[in-house]
Amino acid sequence: MIKKTPLYNWHKSAKANLAQFGGYKMPLWYPEGVKKEHMAVITKAGIFDTSHMAVITLKGAQAFDLLQKTFTKNLSECSNFQKEPLKNGQCVYGIFLNEKGETIDDSVVYRFEKNQFMIVVNAGMGALISKHLKKNSNGFDCKIEDLTDKIGKIDIQGINSAKILLPLLNNGDKVFENLKYFTFKGSFLPESSVVLKDGSSILLSRTGYTGEFGFEIFMQSENLVKVWEMLIEAGKDFELTPCGLAARDSLRAGAMLPLSHQDIGGWKFINNPWIFALPYNKEKTGFTKDFIGKKALSDIQIKEYTYPFAGYNLRKVPSSSDVYDHNKEKIGTVLTCATDMATDRKEDKIFCITSNEKTVPKGLSCGFVKVCKKLNYGDKVILSDNKRKIKAEIVKDIRPSRTARINIKGLL
Amino acid sequence: MKEINELILPDNLLYAEDHEWVKREGENATIGISDYAQDRLGDVVFVELPEIGDVFNKGDEFGSIESVKAVSDLYMPIGGEIVEINESLADAPENANNSPYEEGWMIKVKISDSAQLKALMDKDTYIKQLEG
Repeated sequence: MIKKTPLYNWHKSAKANLAQFGGYKMPLWYPEGVKKEHMAVITKAGIFDTSHMAVITLKGAQAFDLLQKTFTKNLSECSNFQKEPLKNGQCVYGIFLNEKGETIDDSVVYRFEKNQFMIVVNAGMGALISKHLKKNSNGFDCKIEDLTDKIGKIDIQGINSAKILLPLLNNGDKVFENLKYFTFKGSFLPESSVVLKDGSSILLSRTGYTGEFGFEIFMQSENLVKVWEMLIEAGKDFELTPCGLAARDSLRAGAMLPLSHQDIGGWKFINNPWIFALPYNKEKTGFTKDFIGKKALSDIQIKEYTYPFAGYNLRKVPSSSDVYDHNKEKIGTVLTCATDMATDRKEDKIFCITSNEKTVPKGLSCGFVKVCKKLNYGDKVILSDNKRKIKAEIVKDIRPSRTARINIKGLL
Repeated sequence: MKEINELILPDNLLYAEDHEWVKREGENATIGISDYAQDRLGDVVFVELPEIGDVFNKGDEFGSIESVKAVSDLYMPIGGEIVEINESLADAPENANNSPYEEGWMIKVKISDSAQLKALMDKDTYIKQLEG
């Protein structure tokens, strides 16, 4: 059965192009088009219905132990450069692996209190991750609850997001105080410390999937349409644009964020741009805790590498195209190839529309390749589906000048 | 997403299963993609076209069209020799979205076998196909 979010009728009446994703009928783009949506998030603000994502809560004296066992981040020392434990009101990105060290799904884990956590996973993954957690919590004092159908989520992303949200919040200035990247306030329960002017409780999280400044807003499903419409109304003065999954995909690719089951998946989670999610020690010689998948990832023979790439113009190849090195030897596969319409190259250097260059960017293809040999930043590869060929460069980063970590104070 | 009754589908064109349109002009024909195709593709960012003089059979791939989201192939609804290509699409690929039947045309061909036109659909048959 195909599921619909509470905003389905809104998307339909807005004439969105709808398609199935993760078991849900979701908007791909609205009539103004992907390009405008992508640009809006980078220069103004965009709003996304992300209610298809799954939410699981963990409660109990051993909730922490269960996460230490199943989640790659070491929650005892992950919250910042000081290697302190994850605190109340902080969240962290990591992976759920199987014993083979392969990705089941990626996730953001939120700590409400010492014995109370929330896990956000991808669309359709709530049941699978719940099952995995239950299987691994035999005898643990930990209650696992899949709240996916009860909780809705709206992402508002882009530098105007704070200005749009502020007048809708009770004590907005106080809510925004110290709301740093990867921290959150409130909850979707009635006693939330973050409440909108109409009385709706929200969990306000300074996170997202675009690489740009913004929030993910969790709430009870029944409030979703009301809150969405409030945001759309409040966003009218700030060029807030409704955005679909296509813009979400091109934005995240440019921001070097993986799409689960495409860029990470049924192969070992190692030698990739996201190994900061693994609990490495300072010397990167071993891991600081035991976790499912550790043994498989400790094998030093793994010869599979995932790298970000950027093309030289906006031309793309389909996913699963082949990757060739400069000797024309086939070395791997394209995982993601998207166009970041806000970027381009000037004298080979990548810039973004917000980089203060005089030139208007025409767009660059970008994404990730998985190859069987070690490459260096700056190496050139050819991506080809046997019909078209594009030249690409292995890069350390894709879209520059991203705003995700910017201080909220400067945006009000 | 446009409902089928909102699509612009001119009466004087023929339509192919792969959503190309054909307009006969004497011994030549102009070819592009339908309003339905552009609506489903989303923002077109690049159109790759063949060279003048290239000869294709019906069903051959003559180029490709890239939207922000995907890369799609373009197929010959009839066979023929390319006599003209729409060079303005190189600078303004968005014309394939904004004006699929006018500024967004793609190629002109010299028809190799006019009997192949009979296998194409008129507007009403094409609408029936879209309605599935």
